[in-house]
Amino acid sequence: IAGMALPPPDPQFVLRGTSAEVNTLHFYCGGQEPNYPILFSGSSNGLIHIWNLKTRRVDTILDGHEGKSVYCVKAIYGKDRLLSKSQGRNQKICLWDLAEGRNTVTDSIFTENVGFCKCSLLKVAQQCWLLAVPGKDLDEVQILELPTKTSVCTLKPEVDAKPGMPMCLKLWQPDFGSCPFLLAGYEDGSVILWNLSGGKMLSRLACHQEPVMSLDFDSEKTKGISGSSEKMLSVWSLDEQQNLKIQKMHKLVNAGIADVTIRQDKKILATAGWDHRIRIFGWKKLKPLAMLDYHTATVHCVSFSDHSRPSERLLAAGSKDHRISIWSIYNQT
Amino acid sequence: MAVFDTPQEAFGLLRPACIQLTKVQTSENVEQLQARLQSVSDSALQELQEYVLFPLRFTLKTPGPKRESLVQSVVQCISSILSATCVKKQDLLQELFSELCTCLSPSGVQQPAPLSEELKLSVIQALHVLMHSAYGDILLTLYQPSTLPHLGFAVSLLLALAEREKAKPIKLAALKCLQVLILQCDCQEEPHRHLDPEEIRHCGNLFASFLPGLSMALSRVITGDLKQGHMVPVSAIRLFRHIVSMVMADDQLATISRDKEKPSVEQSSLSELVVHRGPEWVKSTAGKVSLLIHRIVEFACLHPHWKVRLELMELVHHLLLKCSQSLEESLGHLLKALVGLVNDESQEVQCRCREVLRSIAGLRVVAENRALVDVLSENLHSLATALPRLMNSQDDQGKFSTLNLLLGYLKLLGPQVNVVLNSAAHLQRLSKALMQVLELDVTDVKIVEARRWGPDGSLGEPSGLLQEGKGQKKYFRFFIDERIFLLIQQVCRVLGYYGNLYLLVDHFMGLYSESVAYRKQAAMVLNELITGAAGRGVDVLHERETAVSMEDLKGSVTSVLEEYTDPANWYLLTSLDSEGASEELTHSGAHAIPGGAHGSPVISAPSLSSAPSPTIRSMNSNIWQICIQLEGVGCFAHALGKEFHLLLASALYPVLEKAGDGTLLVSQAAIGALGDVCQACGYGSVQRLINANSDYLVNGISLNLRRVAHQPHASRVLQAMLRHSDASLLPLVEDVIQDVLVTLDQFYDDRAFSFLGLLSTLMTALVQWFVVSSEEHPKEQTLEQLNSPSLRAAPQQGDGPGITPLGQEVEQFFLDYVRQKQIAEGTLPCEEDEEVPPAPPELEMGDAGAEGELPLPAHARIAKDVMERCCHLLSDKSLRVRLKVLDVLELCVTVLQGHETHLLPLAHRAWPALVPRLVNDDPRAVLRAFKVLCTLAEACGDFLRRRFSTDVLPKLASSLESQAPVSARAGPVYSHTLAFKLQLAVLQGLGALCETLDLGESDLTRAADACLLYLSARQPAPLQEAARSVFLHVMHVDPDAAWLFLNEACCPLPYEPPHPSLRPVKLGGAGRLRNEFTANVLGLLRELQRLEAATVQAGPQDEPCALSEALG
Repeated sequence: IAGMALPPPDPQFVLRGTSAEVNTLHFYCGGQEPNYPILFSGSSNGLIHIWNLKTRRVDTILDGHEGKSVYCVKAIYGKDRLLSKSQGRNQKICLWDLAEGRNTVTDSIFTENVGFCKCSLLKVAQQCWLLAVPGKDLDEVQILELPTKTSVCTLKPEVDAKPGMPMCLKLWQPDFGSCPFLLAGYEDGSVILWNLSGGKMLSRLACHQEPVMSLDFDSEKTKGISGSSEKMLSVWSLDEQQNLKIQKMHKLVNAGIADVTIRQDKKILATAGWDHRIRIFGWKKLKPLAMLDYHTATVHCVSFSDHSRPSERLLAAGSKDHRISIWSIYNQT
Repeated sequence: MAVFDTPQEAFGLLRPACIQLTKVQTSENVEQLQARLQSVSDSALQELQEYVLFPLRFTLKTPGPKRESLVQSVVQCISSILSATCVKKQDLLQELFSELCTCLSPSGVQQPAPLSEELKLSVIQALHVLMHSAYGDILLTLYQPSTLPHLGFAVSLLLALAEREKAKPIKLAALKCLQVLILQCDCQEEPHRHLDPEEIRHCGNLFASFLPGLSMALSRVITGDLKQGHMVPVSAIRLFRHIVSMVMADDQLATISRDKEKPSVEQSSLSELVVHRGPEWVKSTAGKVSLLIHRIVEFACLHPHWKVRLELMELVHHLLLKCSQSLEESLGHLLKALVGLVNDESQEVQCRCREVLRSIAGLRVVAENRALVDVLSENLHSLATALPRLMNSQDDQGKFSTLNLLLGYLKLLGPQVNVVLNSAAHLQRLSKALMQVLELDVTDVKIVEARRWGPDGSLGEPSGLLQEGKGQKKYFRFFIDERIFLLIQQVCRVLGYYGNLYLLVDHFMGLYSESVAYRKQAAMVLNELITGAAGRGVDVLHERETAVSMEDLKGSVTSVLEEYTDPANWYLLTSLDSEGASEELTHSGAHAIPGGAHGSPVISAPSLSSAPSPTIRSMNSNIWQICIQLEGVGCFAHALGKEFHLLLASALYPVLEKAGDGTLLVSQAAIGALGDVCQACGYGSVQRLINANSDYLVNGISLNLRRVAHQPHASRVLQAMLRHSDASLLPLVEDVIQDVLVTLDQFYDDRAFSFLGLLSTLMTALVQWFVVSSEEHPKEQTLEQLNSPSLRAAPQQGDGPGITPLGQEVEQFFLDYVRQKQIAEGTLPCEEDEEVPPAPPELEMGDAGAEGELPLPAHARIAKDVMERCCHLLSDKSLRVRLKVLDVLELCVTVLQGHETHLLPLAHRAWPALVPRLVNDDPRAVLRAFKVLCTLAEACGDFLRRRFSTDVLPKLASSLESQAPVSARAGPVYSHTLAFKLQLAVLQGLGALCETLDLGESDLTRAADACLLYLSARQPAPLQEAARSVFLHVMHVDPDAAWLFLNEACCPLPYEPPHPSLRPVKLGGAGRLRNEFTANVLGLLRELQRLEAATVQAGPQDEPCALSEALG
């Protein structure tokens, strides 16, 4: 195809100035111009930057994690509230109030886990979210309800399962209002499907030899993808009996996938590689589409914007080299 | 003279004269009466008016031929009576009127009799006076269908006079009188009775009969010989205006019924004469008048006297205001006249014309009257159609007036211009015409040849001198006159101001991408459209109702800018520079992003890349295109003002890229654009602009470094940033510098040089920001330290017998000498800090462990990284690269001065590559390597001294020694050989190095030995000079050794010991005959003495320690 002859694309632009590794990115496209779309980035120096993608500059810097690496940033209530989580001995989850120019921490939750696991957030009702975070014990996952902060359940594997620490989490529900599920990737390379209502493990699939670094799940096709520190991408599906099955394994040239994200329209997905590269695949058949080469260090995270106009959708990648690259690709379809 | 106030007295006075005149009708009698009238008051005369008039009228009425002088005096007398009195009776008025008319044509034919000019003038004046003396109501009785014949008679007589008479006063008087006759007197003194609409309509009906005759005769008068001056045509035009605007007035015609009114019975026969101004009449009359108007307009427009053109303006104004419906056919002509005079050379005409245009446009006559809009757009269209042809055939003056006309139409149409623009055919015509007119002359070779001077990245002029909107002077194919371009500019701006911006931008963008032939012109038009749309620099007649919203403007600007800076339109071949040519051609498709916004490249774009060898013409054209696009950026910035900030992210980088372009014109245009952007966005200077937006620039640089073809641009932009910024920039660019180094690593072979230019700029900036500014003070101190030993040691040399050291000085010297000796032997503890020698290098090395733990500051980190690259590149095969590397290396060392832990390992790595530069390279490289070594020596000291004396000095010295005989024997051609240049370079560099490295005695001797050979008079002069410089440096390091050494070579004086107990001094050179070295050695000794004298003056307390050496 013509695409083969084209040289690899350049980033549309690059955001600089975090002066630290960029661990997590989160787009918010809902508001009106000129201040939108915005991009939240969490970096290893404990700061959260709010980028105005029109001016390509930082609008606000949030400092609430005492210099501890920020691992996860999610917007809730539009962009007025922000949830962020830092790593460290005492993991701290902060809830920010950003409305009307404020930037204060309204609430914070401390968990006693030490891992690198990002949390997962799911809106289950108006003004009600579920938050999955690694729990007190190394191998357990705790589900909290927000904004009340009450613990819904604790998901602990059976004693003999020994999957190790949870590495990545994904809350989802088949339909809005139905019973939510949690997909969790573990240190031993397995992915476990949990039913939140009973706190029961439904299925466990050993899809990697190494720890699962990241996973994403397409609830429409009931199909997910996971990446680990090895050279494998694994696509698995969930059948009607709630069993996880390997569907496809994709071998990569270089080992290490830090992040996997399926775009909201379920057409393509992006991976963040330890080999400094971002890879784009078609989601249907996992066809490799592009390899985006810009960063000079490990890419930590990839994120797609959910802009209402498909042509303005962007891909952002954050890297250890302190930069955030913004790409405008495959957004004409 | 007594004044008779009462009628009785006056009657007594006047009666005899009247009687006398009645009896004998002579001029004398008339004059007598006239004389008596002088002493009668106006009120008394009013009473006796008819009585006094009687003999005069009687005289006129007497049958038979009369002497003209008599008639004239009678008429004058009547005038004077009438001017003092009022005519209160209808009969009197009518009778006087016809009697006076009869004077002009006694025979009753409608042609004036061949009378004397004085008489004619008197009669006309009398008629004038009569019309003014009649009471308003009475006057109107003259305007009845019944009196129509009388009026007609008068009118035709006066017209005939105005037309045929030669004397100007008569013509003028006749025209003036006619004006009064049609009740349009414009005299100030006597306010005429205001007529009510009904009366006006009535008069209009009457005058309609005269219209054909009047208008035709007047048009003949107006278009008559230019020799008649301006007064006559001015009055005639005025009269024409009055009569036409009265008879053809729309408001009158509107009230006239279709059918003729039934004439009242008693007047039936006469009323046949009265014209009924029904629609048919109006139509046929308008047709005829239109012809006349056309003739008048054409003629008066070009009349040399401005007052005529001004009067024409009034005519047009009135007719447009009052008769726009009835004279529909003439509107085109009228507007054309108006529009054509907008830019008249006379200020008055211009002003008035604009006022008129404004008032017409303001009255919305144009906007609401469909017909007028049609007329205008019709005119506009036919003009646009003819425009290309006119531009081809007309001379500059002709083009000027044609374009003036075009501009006028646009202005007059105002918002209605969209009616024209919405028609595709109209827009097509107009744009094609503009495309043709604006075609540039691209044949000039100089445009291509003119190169920019100065280093990469310097933005030339200080930003303060930048002026707004001063584009470069362009040369057009079809015209020369600068005013024409200004007119076209206005045309485009007015279009942008009123027109539908989206439509226009879209259309011209279409032309832009349609063909290379249109691209430059279309860009010019687009620039002006946006400027106009923003309401900048437009001169319009009336404000538009709704200005273009900022959002729309921004949208248009964004899309145009995107197109301009698209690689296919931005990276064009502008010169045949080897560097530029190969790389810029590779751009095509460079930005093809899968699914990105870029469509297939414009069809015409590769015309350059496909052509095997670009012509001067195409390069010239490309240069202009880039310039115009750059000007566009400036225009857009001004159009958007502060809002342009948002576009800086995408626009600033490309502009800065061009600011360093090699083509003079392009770089000038870019600098101009930068100035515009600064102004528009409120930055005080280009520097501030760059500083405030360095993040955007860094982004552009980093992305462009990824493309081989764009690397030179990226490095240019980075250099510009570095040159125009300060240390605060460093955190931002640090990141991109890493990119540069990574890129350099990939292209060591072929692109090293262009990157070295950048690295050199970078290091220069770092030195400036971090070394010169912050360490200025400490550095001076170190210099002082370095110099101080030589200063202190500078001896009071006993060169001449006149200078004898004083006893105390000798004593002090010995005391110090003993003390020094004790210190050296360690017997005296060192207590005084001031004498502490510089810390030995070993100690510093020890300290460095602690220093190494601190993170290296950013600038040093960069210098370190750059220096690493330099180590690789030092042995590059290209001399150009080696030279540049040596420069960069020196700067790196300067920056790293304070960080020995990092510098020493690097110096260690660089050393093996540096040695060949010193001992075996091109002379230029040798010289620079010496400089590097000096700098390095300052920073590393001991570390280098040892290496130098083992690795470099022996080789240098032996090569100097072996070459010395060769150069001593050589002829004049030798100075062109490489060997000579090498010798020279080594000699020039060696001295400074000896001094900075602070070499030990043996090394100094080694160097001096080798150089001594070059002090020979047989050596070529430059080598002698260079060798002398080595000794001068050595003198600074160790003056005593130098003195001794030189004296060994040649000792000019015997030295007598000051005391017999001291042994006599015997120096090696003493007693030698004058030889080849004598001249230079003596010169050097003199210099040494001079230095000492200076030192002694500076510090007399310093002991002459040199004596110790002398004493052996």
